Amino acid sequence: MAIFKSFNIVDAQSPQSSDVVSNVKDIVSSGMWANGAASLAAFYTSSAQSSSNGDYYLDVYDKDPQSDNTAAVQFSVAYGHFNGSGSLGKVGVAGNRASAAIYRQLTNTLLGPNVSQFTFAGSGNNVTPKYVYAISIARQQLREKMDPGNWELHLSGSSSSIKLIDDSGATTNPQVNQGGRVFNVVSGSIASGIAVLEDGVTATNQPGGAYGLFYPDLGIIVLNGPVVDVSGSIGAVTTTNTLGGNVDKFYALISGSATPTGTTDGAGGKFFKARREEVITSQHYFCRIPNKEFNFSANPTFVTGSQGNFQVASFFKNPKTFITQVGLYNSANELLAIAKLSKPLLKSYSREAIIKVKLDF
Amino acid sequence: MGFLNNTTVTVDAILTKKGRELLAQGTSAFNITKFALADDEVDYRLFDTSHPNGSDYYGAVIESMPLLEAFPDENHVMRYKLVTLPKNTQKMPILSVSPNQGIVFETSTGLGANPETVGGTTSNATDTSYTFILKDQTVASMTVAVAAGSPGTGATTPFFLGDDDAPNSLTLVAKSVTISVIAVSARKSTTLIVVGNNTGATASITIENKVTNNSLAAGNQNTSN
Repeated sequence: MAIFKSFNIVDAQSPQSSDVVSNVKDIVSSGMWANGAASLAAFYTSSAQSSSNGDYYLDVYDKDPQSDNTAAVQFSVAYGHFNGSGSLGKVGVAGNRASAAIYRQLTNTLLGPNVSQFTFAGSGNNVTPKYVYAISIARQQLREKMDPGNWELHLSGSSSSIKLIDDSGATTNPQVNQGGRVFNVVSGSIASGIAVLEDGVTATNQPGGAYGLFYPDLGIIVLNGPVVDVSGSIGAVTTTNTLGGNVDKFYALISGSATPTGTTDGAGGKFFKARREEVITSQHYFCRIPNKEFNFSANPTFVTGSQGNFQVASFFKNPKTFITQVGLYNSANELLAIAKLSKPLLKSYSREAIIKVKLDF
Repeated sequence: MGFLNNTTVTVDAILTKKGRELLAQGTSAFNITKFALADDEVDYRLFDTSHPNGSDYYGAVIESMPLLEAFPDENHVMRYKLVTLPKNTQKMPILSVSPNQGIVFETSTGLGANPETVGGTTSNATDTSYTFILKDQTVASMTVAVAAGSPGTGATTPFFLGDDDAPNSLTLVAKSVTISVIAVSARKSTTLIVVGNNTGATASITIENKVTNNSLAAGNQNTSN
């Protein structure tokens, strides 16, 4: 008589099969944005936020947070300057030096201990620029990491526009540093399903310096300030101790509000396509139910009367039960996990079953 | 030519509240070693032996029914477990609880009411211990009268997580328990569920407490007068 059945747990290295298979890893990718959407075509900011800490960064929503309470932060944009230019304050002068704080925060997070400035691929004057723009994906959208090779961002300024992707498709051995894997941001598109570089120009060959760096494991894209300025005609203010409004200007590039009316080049901002990637670790439990087991039930409707007679007389010597749920227990008989079947599964002396219970962590 | 019925069914499990609690304590605390099966939603009275299409269809009503998704609360799942018994079993284990008519703590006896010992008797099979689940412990107190003999026999119904989750529930594993009166703010009743730890057989009795704070105060006033 038994109501529990122990799993046959065998060491993972053993050739014997085990009822419990541990550490089964599956990579799951999905759309990055709200409700699993792959692309964002409308962008909003909160007026409340822009008046409080908007000098540092702006949260970008999928819906208007002023009128829609389901709006959620999708990503944030920021502007950082090595010396704090474009924001109020300087050494010896009052002011929060917001752009310096952002720049140092990014370098401390993404670069090595003794590296104080971003260095981008390519050649020219802007390989080590003084200022950068950054995009940081919101944690609830990122979950674990961005899917390299599967994002495309359109920036559109007053006179020109660019489509940005990463060069992970052409990188077999990515650089891994303090911020995890690093890829270059290049001009191109993934509209055809694969990454196609604009005019075949790689990051190394980008005149004036590459567009930026992409850190998929952290969900951060750092864009080369002067290069993006030229491409998007941002007009960033990089004067010392001056509030430049550069975060707003960069946001305007993304939201399309900087694009002149009538722009029809197909890259008028308002487009951010991205995927996220998650590793799901599962444990599989094979519940083997032989023909002679679990053929009776403690269900009160299984019996009739007070003597324990079967509700269905033909159950004598031929009982039938219906499995609806599987409970997983520890040795103290505590129920740790529960699985439900989609419909009752008939069990009798002439039937056996194996129910594979998958538990994700 | 049809598709063969696949004998392996794959289902996704969710952690119960207890499972989450143990997982939070570390992987060593979360150690699944066995499984049990249950048929909570099935009513065997729907097994129709007069089905016009023959014996293959006797269980059609049950087999076709959709099932609810799993509840993470341990107290609402795995209530009626499937049992392994000899094939020639003629009668299912029946659990009877003593006292079977329930327990009533009357106003007249007040807090001096004798504690009641509740035990289970399993006929047609043997249970070495029982799980006693007092659904509302603000109605009466419950303590172990005779402890469960063999170590390793735990609760078939899982323990409650704590005051936040089930503030009024109390679960004990024992051969018998003692139910004692406590003062309540208003007349209350609750259910004591008893589960056989070997057979899974269940039974329940009602506990009613009429000893309120007001009745005790009135009693004291009468005495002082």
